[in-house]
Amino acid sequence: MIRNLTGVMLATCVGVFLSVGPASADPAKEAPWYPDAAAYRLTLFLGNLEPLPWDVLEAAWSDPYRNSEFSAGALAWLGQTSNTDTGSLMDAIARRDRQSLFAAATRLIALRIEEELDRALDADDPASAQQAVRTARDLYRAFADGIATADPEVSRRIGLAWLELNSSLGSAGVLGAGAIPAERDMMIAARSVISDYLAENYLVDDFAPRQQLSPLPETAVLSGRDIEVPPSLPPGSDIFDQDPLPLLVLNFEEQGIDETDLPLVAYGDMLFDSAQIFGSPARDLGIACSTCHNRSDVNQRLFIPGASHQPGAIDVDGAFFNPIFNDRRDDPLDIPSLRGLRFTGPYGRDGRFASLRDFTRNVIVNEFGGAEPTPFMLDALLAYMLEFDFLPNSMLTADGMLTDEAPDAVRRGEEIFNRPLAGLGDRSCASCHVPDGNFLDRQAHDIGAAGPAYEGARAGAFDTPTLLGTAYTAPYFHDGSLPTLAAVVDWFDETKSLGLADAERSDLTAYLEAVGSADEPYEIFDAENTTFRLAFSELMTFASTLDTLLPRRDAEHILLLTDTVAADLSADASRMSNLAGRPEVYALAERLAEVGAAVREADWETAAAHWAAFKADAEAIEERAF
Amino acid sequence: MSIRLSRRAALILSVAGAASLGTRLAAQENALRLAFIPQENPEKLLGDVAAITAWLADQIGVPVDGFVTIDHAAAVEALRNGDADISFMGALPFVLAEAEIGAVPLLSEVYRGAPSYTGRIFVRRDSGIETLADLRGKDIAFADPISESGYLYPLAEFVEAGLVAGPGDADAFFGRIFFAGGYQQAMQAMAEGLVDAAGASQYADLLLTPQQQAGIIWIAESEPIPSHVVIARPGLDADVRSRFTDAMMRLNETGNRDLLRYLYGPDGYVRADPGAYDGVRDMARRYGLLG
Repeated sequence: MIRNLTGVMLATCVGVFLSVGPASADPAKEAPWYPDAAAYRLTLFLGNLEPLPWDVLEAAWSDPYRNSEFSAGALAWLGQTSNTDTGSLMDAIARRDRQSLFAAATRLIALRIEEELDRALDADDPASAQQAVRTARDLYRAFADGIATADPEVSRRIGLAWLELNSSLGSAGVLGAGAIPAERDMMIAARSVISDYLAENYLVDDFAPRQQLSPLPETAVLSGRDIEVPPSLPPGSDIFDQDPLPLLVLNFEEQGIDETDLPLVAYGDMLFDSAQIFGSPARDLGIACSTCHNRSDVNQRLFIPGASHQPGAIDVDGAFFNPIFNDRRDDPLDIPSLRGLRFTGPYGRDGRFASLRDFTRNVIVNEFGGAEPTPFMLDALLAYMLEFDFLPNSMLTADGMLTDEAPDAVRRGEEIFNRPLAGLGDRSCASCHVPDGNFLDRQAHDIGAAGPAYEGARAGAFDTPTLLGTAYTAPYFHDGSLPTLAAVVDWFDETKSLGLADAERSDLTAYLEAVGSADEPYEIFDAENTTFRLAFSELMTFASTLDTLLPRRDAEHILLLTDTVAADLSADASRMSNLAGRPEVYALAERLAEVGAAVREADWETAAAHWAAFKADAEAIEERAF
Repeated sequence: MSIRLSRRAALILSVAGAASLGTRLAAQENALRLAFIPQENPEKLLGDVAAITAWLADQIGVPVDGFVTIDHAAAVEALRNGDADISFMGALPFVLAEAEIGAVPLLSEVYRGAPSYTGRIFVRRDSGIETLADLRGKDIAFADPISESGYLYPLAEFVEAGLVAGPGDADAFFGRIFFAGGYQQAMQAMAEGLVDAAGASQYADLLLTPQQQAGIIWIAESEPIPSHVVIARPGLDADVRSRFTDAMMRLNETGNRDLLRYLYGPDGYVRADPGAYDGVRDMARRYGLLG
């Protein structure tokens, strides 16, 4: 799936939450959070993890959040911009008192909103007042989804109050031209709507105990109603596509076979991109197999606070995705590439699954809380994933030997790679990374990369990873602790006392880089061959499986397809270069949704008619789909 | 760093734009001072300002200082007071600045191949609103009263359609008129159902979530509006002005295009055609903003 947002005009101003609602699989770039509001949202998110990562939470207040556009952390920011007191917040963190922390942080954000509203009303001129209101509103965003979930009517009333407040501030015009006077009474009235609600719900002396930390208003919590705020990822999260986008190499495609002639594979391709096969929160957040393993490769930028210790790593058996599968161990893993998957079993970093089918079911059901997949779904997913091939590399022959294109340093490195070394028990690098076996041996070895989990424990053996394609999958090792292939060589040299000279380490690194390289590692886009065109082509391929599923009247799998593809097609239209073409794509998405609606009614004749119309419309707009 | 900006061209950054190449110009003994208008997080803009002023200093051969003003009006005042030499500006504030202080247009931004864009009236697709006339008695959000695409041009469509007698009579047609504070706020208010319509830039729907974008349509589009412009105070040394303009034009070259992201992200620049702003001048007169 292609999900990166390319440069659209003003894209940096997008003011939306990263939470995307239940029907969507397309994340939206969100506006920057102010540091204090970001720390609050991180507090809510991290505060629901079990065990609570207090160190991470403390850093959420002291350090800028990941990818923040502000250089200051929340506490420093507050010191510069606010007179609010952070004493009770710091005290709650020091005492590791979750409820007190929630109360102090909630009050702090509410006080900050009040502080900015005071500034707006006290401002000497409209521009300063507008700036203060803008800041207050950006801080209010920390509570907004809680209010909208608990009471849509109140949310609307407050939304109007913000509009009224901003409109009442007036304008200084330009050098007096176009000046509009402020309307003080309207300003005060609008402010009261906001402040009264904050006082009742977020500036409370004693908050009711929270089992789940959320931005829900206090009155809603006290009502005892069962209200669930839609899941969202905290500031600093990143589930967008890699940039540049890795090239996907599918075996059948390289042989000139059209995916639309392989309906099982095409359906598996769709499932690989479908968040619908997972449970909440992954499903609601649009997280699919392809989020981490996009284009069969590694999403090196993926990061979720509290679940990732660094980009490209994730703890899939932590507290966030599926609490029942929480192993209560902070053990995020570097995401592995799936290229050449049919050659790389057993599966899992320690090779715990001999069967790819068992591994895939475990991902869906246990790691991401999805419903039990049907045999057809697993067959389809496997059929697709088994087509993943390694990236072509003209410096290597099929049996792992160097071609004439390899430079001398690489050849010297190859000799070292195959040289028995005392530090490796008279084995060589090639003993495990077997060149004519895709540079792996399908076994697990304990090389000392992980420390023992408890006294007396066997430290841990990990499945030998292939070296193919690794030039693009940094960092390395199961925990991503080594940033470069040179660092990997140094690690072996030092921990295994290999005694390699500097030049030898350099040559060995050159060899690894040559083995791990590729002729074309990335997709190449241009004005018309856009990311949207690629996505459109994929989605049309997914939809083509209806030619097989509709005659079989396979309602379950048809609906999974139409729900996924119609939502993705509609969402993907937002990043078309050809803006004028968007309405046609929206209409096409609706047409596919109509197929699903007819199938839900068991009206197969209508479903077939909509499907025929969809195909005709898709063909008609294909040229404009960029 | 605080983002609390004072009303009058608050100097919150004075970038060390020391010229490392080129000949220092005798006529410009002091640094060239550029005023920037924040469109989002002002602190991020500071980083952008630092990057672009360093490059410009290198290209022009004079030190270049950049600073962020609180809004267009403050930037115009800075030009008038001599606190700024050059400013980035919307078309409407430019024609006002031109009339008041003789500001000179140097460069126009290019988006999607044109130095112009339009304003549109957006509504929710499920609202049943199909024409401007359907908005009688309904609520609308505009971006800002001093905004060409976020107020003047979209409102002019109602005048053109004979629904609003003139700029001062809009209250009689609509239910309520709001100035939301920006494109994004106006569009969000419409998408969330707080108001029935929004008047904003043709690209403003891209500020919504993909799901929201699918749920809105536009029902009217204004005539082309000249895009944002880079302007100079009238007394700025002609040679400096020329060197600055030449340097900015080099941003269109392949090797320099990455720098455009530090400047509000246009696709490039063209030399400004003063005549292209006649329509904005007319519009400003109709709205009583120009004498």
